[in-house]
Amino acid sequence: MRETVRQAGRATVQLALGAGLALFSCLFITVLLITAIGTVTLIGAWLLPETVLLTRRIAGAKRSMAARWSGQEIPEAYQPITGTIRDRLRTAIHDPSTFGDFRWMVADYGYGCLVVLALPLWLAGLPSDGVRCGLLGRRPVVLPLISRLADLDAAWSAVLLKPSPKALLAKRVEQLTQTRAGAIAAHSAELRRIERDLHDGAQARLVSLSMRIGLAKRAYERDPEAGRRLLDEAQEHAEEALAELRHVVRGIHPPILTDRGLAGAVRALAATSGLDVTVQADDLDDGPRAPVAVESAAYFVVAEALTNAAKHSGSERASVTITRTRPGLRVIVRDEGKGGAATADGGDPGGTGLPGMRRRVAALDGTFTITSPVGGPTVIEAELPCAW
Amino acid sequence: MRVVIAEDNALLREGMVLLLTSAGHEVVAVAAAEPEILPALLAHRPDIAVLDVRMPPNFRDEGLRAALEARRQIPGLPVLVLSQYVEEAYAAELLGGGASGIGYLLKDRVGRVEEFLDALDRVAAGGTALDPEVVTELLTRRRSTPLDSLTPREREVLTLMAEGHDNTTIAATLVITERAVSKHIGNVFLKLRLPPADIGHRRVLAVLAYLNNA
Repeated sequence: MRETVRQAGRATVQLALGAGLALFSCLFITVLLITAIGTVTLIGAWLLPETVLLTRRIAGAKRSMAARWSGQEIPEAYQPITGTIRDRLRTAIHDPSTFGDFRWMVADYGYGCLVVLALPLWLAGLPSDGVRCGLLGRRPVVLPLISRLADLDAAWSAVLLKPSPKALLAKRVEQLTQTRAGAIAAHSAELRRIERDLHDGAQARLVSLSMRIGLAKRAYERDPEAGRRLLDEAQEHAEEALAELRHVVRGIHPPILTDRGLAGAVRALAATSGLDVTVQADDLDDGPRAPVAVESAAYFVVAEALTNAAKHSGSERASVTITRTRPGLRVIVRDEGKGGAATADGGDPGGTGLPGMRRRVAALDGTFTITSPVGGPTVIEAELPCAW
Repeated sequence: MRVVIAEDNALLREGMVLLLTSAGHEVVAVAAAEPEILPALLAHRPDIAVLDVRMPPNFRDEGLRAALEARRQIPGLPVLVLSQYVEEAYAAELLGGGASGIGYLLKDRVGRVEEFLDALDRVAAGGTALDPEVVTELLTRRRSTPLDSLTPREREVLTLMAEGHDNTTIAATLVITERAVSKHIGNVFLKLRLPPADIGHRRVLAVLAYLNNA
């Protein structure tokens, strides 16, 4: 009985909060009307986007309230309102979620007062359920209805606030546009880096190598000793050029990844990282291989994470776990270091550093999370979707 | 010596044949793809096989696998594996069955003809030739190990030893006497707490095993 009363109490609070919000949004409708009139008369056009933003906040509050009660998240799909006043106005009007939110607000005006039903239920329920439970030993009947009311409130909210397929699609397009732009930026930065590496490194060395062979040919008869020295130098330059090319190739696509697949490449990486690394990748030993782009991204995430761990974390140990999941590939790298890894998304558009990793994963529609509280440990997790 | 070469790139293949024949060796067979390697080795039973790691049809690590398979079918066959890049993991696999008659070098090293021919002879005679890049990786990756207690000179000696060189070569390379080399080696084994090893590939193996497990 005590639990029933407590539960009913919680439901009442939930309903009361809902009513409060409904009341607030009711007041807000007045603002809305003013804005609408203002917009029509073109005086208050700047007000509309702000109003829409405020509506989103109110709807967001309702979403989290309902989610707290039912334990089920209600997704939201808003287009960001940014840019010039014209852009903002256009987004505010065209975003399908705007209409959805207003529809909910009007409906909430009605069902937001469900709390008024709670009062009679309390009055009737306390004595009747008290008698049923206390004296007859039966289950309470009336008080749980208050919980059902809160359930109803949450369910209606979920239905009304759930983004329409159109809104979800719009959000998805927005997200894809963003990650595609990121992917293109990362890709061209990568190409520029490779071009620069080749130009400054291997290419320059080959030029100087060719030059030295030319000089050696001239010195061939006149001064054999000088010719020999020039050839020695030429050979050194050839070897340096080869070493640089190897380095560039590794940066583009590590050969061992082609040879041995992700598990083998990561194990090799672990062995040379300078840390005591345990690799858990048995999942990958059998079955099909992930697409090249996914393997490559996973490899570079692990490489970067281990490099960071070895350089900055102060940890002696790390672990790498790679598992197949239903939607793709999950990579977790964990060290035992002091944490505090920078999570800021810096301006580096290349393939290096945490921002580079994030972009690389985002380009494949994956998710990338890093938790690195001060005091450690640092855990980097990447989810890369792919079909198996 | 009778040599079998496996190399898919025609340019490199011709260069290798030229180099080996000019050094007085006989190239008895040339394999341009992975399926040709084993039959050629079984048919000719060469003194040494020089294999490229990446070969058709899949361009992965066919040469390496062929080397391991050949050693299984022809025990003691000296194998020199060449590659555009070296991987510690591959070195470990090659040496897994013993370091005798095993070579693993970057293709770049072929340019240093004398050193390359020397490595070839060493491997054919049952010795070891390990690329300096692999050894450097092995030596530098660990933190705070007994390796830190080595003097720079002892480190140099250890490096050359791991690459498979004998005392005479080490002495010549470092421009010191062979007595000094023996002394340094003694110190290295003492500091790394390795049992005093005899000369030859067993010594290399001891050193590599140590480096691998450090």
